[in-house]
Amino acid sequence: MRPFEYIRPGAVGEASQILAERGDGAFLIGGGSAAVVMLRLGVVRPECVVDLGGVAGLRGIEANGALRIGALTPIRALELDGGARSRWGLLAEAASQVANVRVRNAATVGGAVAYGEPQTDTPTALTALGASVRAASAKGERAVPIGEFYLGPYETVLAPGEIVVGVDVPEPPPHTGGAHLKFTIGSPENKPVANASALVTLDPASGKCAGARAAMGAAGPTPVAAQAAEGLLGEFPSPERIAEVAAAAAEEADPMEDLRGPVWHKRRVLKVLVERALLCATQRAQA
Amino acid sequence: MPTLEAADKAAGRVAYMGDLVIPGMAHAKIVRSPLPHARIVAIDAEAARALPGVVCVLTRDEVRADPDMEEIYGFVYRDAPLVAIDKARHQGDIVAVVVAEDAATAEEAAELVDVDYEELPAVMNVREALADGAPRVHEEFFPIAPELRPQAGTNICHHATIGCGDIARGFAEADFVYEDEFSAPPVQHCALDLHAVVAQVEDGQITVWTNCQSPFPLGRELERMFKMPARVIVPYVGGGFGSKSRDRLECVITAAAKLAGRPVRCVLSQEETFMTFIRPAYANRIQTGVKRDGTIVARRNTFYVDVGGYAISGARSANNTLKVATGPYRIPHAEVNCYAVYTNKPPSSPYRGLPTTQHTMAYEAQLDRIARDLGMDRLEIRRKNLVRDGDTHVTGDYLRSAHARECMEKAAAAIGWDAPLPASPDGKTLRGRGVSCTIKYTLTPARQMSENGAEIALGQDGVFEIRIGTVNIGQGSDTVMAQIAGDALGVGLDALRVVHSDTARVPVDSSTTASRSTYHMGRAVVEAAGVLKGRILEAAAQLLERGADSLALTSEGVEPEDGGGDGGGVSYAELARRVGSPLAAQGECIVGGTYDAPDGKTYPIASTFWTFASCAAEVEVDAETGQARIVQAAAAATTGTAINPRSIETQLEGGVGQELGPTLFEQMTWDESGQLLNAALLDYPLPTMETMPRYEPRYVDHPFEGGPFGAKGMGEVGAVVVPGAVLNAVYDATGVLFHEMPLLPHKILEALDAKSAAAQ
Ligand SMILES: Cc1cc2nc3c(=O)[nH]c(=O)nc-3n(C[C@H](O)[C@H](O)[C@H](O)COP(=O)(O)OP(=O)(O)OC[C@H]3O[C@@H](n4cnc5c(N)ncnc54)[C@H](O)[C@@H]3O)c2cc1C
Repeated sequence: MRPFEYIRPGAVGEASQILAERGDGAFLIGGGSAAVVMLRLGVVRPECVVDLGGVAGLRGIEANGALRIGALTPIRALELDGGARSRWGLLAEAASQVANVRVRNAATVGGAVAYGEPQTDTPTALTALGASVRAASAKGERAVPIGEFYLGPYETVLAPGEIVVGVDVPEPPPHTGGAHLKFTIGSPENKPVANASALVTLDPASGKCAGARAAMGAAGPTPVAAQAAEGLLGEFPSPERIAEVAAAAAEEADPMEDLRGPVWHKRRVLKVLVERALLCATQRAQA
Repeated sequence: MPTLEAADKAAGRVAYMGDLVIPGMAHAKIVRSPLPHARIVAIDAEAARALPGVVCVLTRDEVRADPDMEEIYGFVYRDAPLVAIDKARHQGDIVAVVVAEDAATAEEAAELVDVDYEELPAVMNVREALADGAPRVHEEFFPIAPELRPQAGTNICHHATIGCGDIARGFAEADFVYEDEFSAPPVQHCALDLHAVVAQVEDGQITVWTNCQSPFPLGRELERMFKMPARVIVPYVGGGFGSKSRDRLECVITAAAKLAGRPVRCVLSQEETFMTFIRPAYANRIQTGVKRDGTIVARRNTFYVDVGGYAISGARSANNTLKVATGPYRIPHAEVNCYAVYTNKPPSSPYRGLPTTQHTMAYEAQLDRIARDLGMDRLEIRRKNLVRDGDTHVTGDYLRSAHARECMEKAAAAIGWDAPLPASPDGKTLRGRGVSCTIKYTLTPARQMSENGAEIALGQDGVFEIRIGTVNIGQGSDTVMAQIAGDALGVGLDALRVVHSDTARVPVDSSTTASRSTYHMGRAVVEAAGVLKGRILEAAAQLLERGADSLALTSEGVEPEDGGGDGGGVSYAELARRVGSPLAAQGECIVGGTYDAPDGKTYPIASTFWTFASCAAEVEVDAETGQARIVQAAAAATTGTAINPRSIETQLEGGVGQELGPTLFEQMTWDESGQLLNAALLDYPLPTMETMPRYEPRYVDHPFEGGPFGAKGMGEVGAVVVPGAVLNAVYDATGVLFHEMPLLPHKILEALDAKSAAAQ
């Protein structure tokens, strides 16, 4: 690893300014779980590392209407947060499936969102939940719907100097169930072959589906919100219908052949994951 | 019992190579070839040398300029240049070494070394390497070990055949002949402790600190290479699994230290280990002739081992497994053909029993196919054919302590073989069980000779110091040797201390490999302890003015046998001080030669002892995704007397934990241009605690005649038996016999699809 200058600013504005001024020479780290590997392997060779860890006010979870999550909140805190578990269970479940407890303690929600790795779990869950990303720079703050946040693998709409400061997740309506599933070869630290999140809302009077969303990870360059899920609206979410919807969702995916397998297999896995996630979400919505 | 160093290791108080600091040491970074096969046209290291903080750069020019430096090393197969001379033979081949004041500068300077490569056509696998007119990896052959036989004009660096009976007659007598081809790709050992060396050349003397598994052969090789005495010191080693059994860094870094004129340290990155030593690609064709009743009458196993760009380690380990390639079965007519083949992959080395593991996978999977075909029970066909005491092995050895069947029964019982498998109402979960049996050799010399020695000395502090060459690589060797010495002397562990693997301080030892140490070093320790005990009794007798036969060794000192501890004895510290001259003794372990069997005949010894083992596994296959999961597994091995049962259990457990990776998902992958795609743990999946199945270790501990207190070795077999059992369990679950590891989900799903398409 090449030596670098290490800067630990105390405020977002200051961090953003350093990043803007130093341009490509600066590299931002949140929890460092991916960033340190990138440094060590020489994927990035910055002159200076800007560690967000010292910025005050970016840590914590507030459940007040929407779930407001500070960028520096560890994934582990999200996994264990009472509010998130009770009403945003899908998100807490996705967090609980990230790698292992060491990684979950290090990785932050802001880092998970900003990293933009197509295989990661958190962005998939946030896509199903319709979250928005709060980004800030010296010029101010803006909110970007998660569906518009990603441009490609490891590529986001963040402008130079712009930092993710938090994520807002709207509260799902009553009678909603959610589930997140992933498929990994080998140990849970390995990048998943694919993952999927589902969110199902039922009309308690009729038992029919009043809302259905599904999202898929490692299913294309960015998280894929499966349009097919809406096919369940107004219907009874029977296993047969869910299987059809999941098959259609998998067709919307555009996975890539890589070390984790060929395209046809990833599509099959995505179908199974979406199907099982929708079934599980439906059961949870009924409970 | 836990190992002697367990508490210190858990508390972080044990120093490994990475912790070693030698005053004045500089840091090395290796410049590696990006191409698998390339002529080296020119090397320009001027910019690197000019960088402030750079001490020197070692290239072929510096090696050639030094008349006291040989160019080519390898103590089994001499074919590896210190740094590439004319060409690079694998991606990551060592082209130059940059030495600098600190590691970061060395790294930066290494990028400034400008190498002009002319790409050559590469042979990336055995098939390509054996094709007519294939590019040659080496133009000449330099085998050192006498049993190695290259085939001139080819990429075959070793070919050998063994057999027994009359193979043609055997197949003619068979009712059915089955033929299968199996294969497995390379994987990496991924030992926690990365390869590391500190070398110092000072006052005409080499000192090398390294985490290598063969300090003595390495020392002799250093002496030959540099024409001066060499001392090799090996601290605690955090695992090797075969990746450290031969030299790949030590000679090179010594050359760099000589050039630098100061100690030089080199620690590989995890990524570099993927280009240093790997488990080779394996392929075989196995033909087995059976009678209608399941009796095996003939077997031929022809196997190909991809040794990579250098045969420094891989050729001989391939050859060694000739002895076990037909399995633990009584087969009257057998033939084994071994081909070790050069390619442009990184060099190969053993991997926890390799390639016995792949042989076992092949003959065990085929045996399940035969059983299914003949409508026989899978345990029954094994009971019928497994070897027994007094059988003659394919090598001509007389087998004793051949408790192969007992291993199988114990492993099968441990997973509840006969209990019904849980049902899967929706048909989405397929379940099955499988078993596998193996036989493993230990390294054994062709003629009778001493393989290693041990020394025990009573120190002035009253502690017995056990001096052994065995490398403490995490297997618990210090503990077992202390237990053996303690029992043989009659003293407790508190009165013992172990000094290991420093060629200047301990007697010679051949290597810490092939499950050999408990038996071989254990015997030397028993002998040393016996001699020392006599000397101590004699010295004490003189001092106490009593007959030596009225005295005994206890934990506290030498006491009169009838004395009941009320004085009249002498403590060890006092004895040592009063005797003045050192109280010490050496022992050795002589092996090889021939065996005079109870039947009155004399037999050859291809292996000092044979270890038998079995694994039974239960798997679950997700029929929708193709994912196989090991639900539970058990392994049983013949250990002889279990000296430290806890170490045996953890060795077996570690074997399963490690080998389930290559069985289910691990593999190194190259693209079409010969570039390795996953030389980093980010993209290379490894087993972890979370992938460990429910696991039951078992041992079959009938004392082994000749072993120290009846013990023999078993360090590898826990791993060796895993793939066969899992392949067979998946076969049982899905009805599909796989011929290739790893059992990746898409491979299984593809096979299930094909099966259901065929059924329609
Ligand atoms: C072994 C391992 C296994 C893993 N497995 C999984 C898994 O199964 N599922 C999963 O979802 N995740 C997994 N992860 C986590 C994931 O890949 C990332 O490591 C993690 O999400 C990054 O979070 P971080 O806070 O550590 O970010 P860092 O590593 O600090 O940064 C990552 C990137 O994001 C940028 N960045 C960080 N914070 C911000 C911010 N606030 N604003 C703008 N840019 C920022 C950095 O500049 C950098 O480019 C795994 C990680 C490891 C190391």
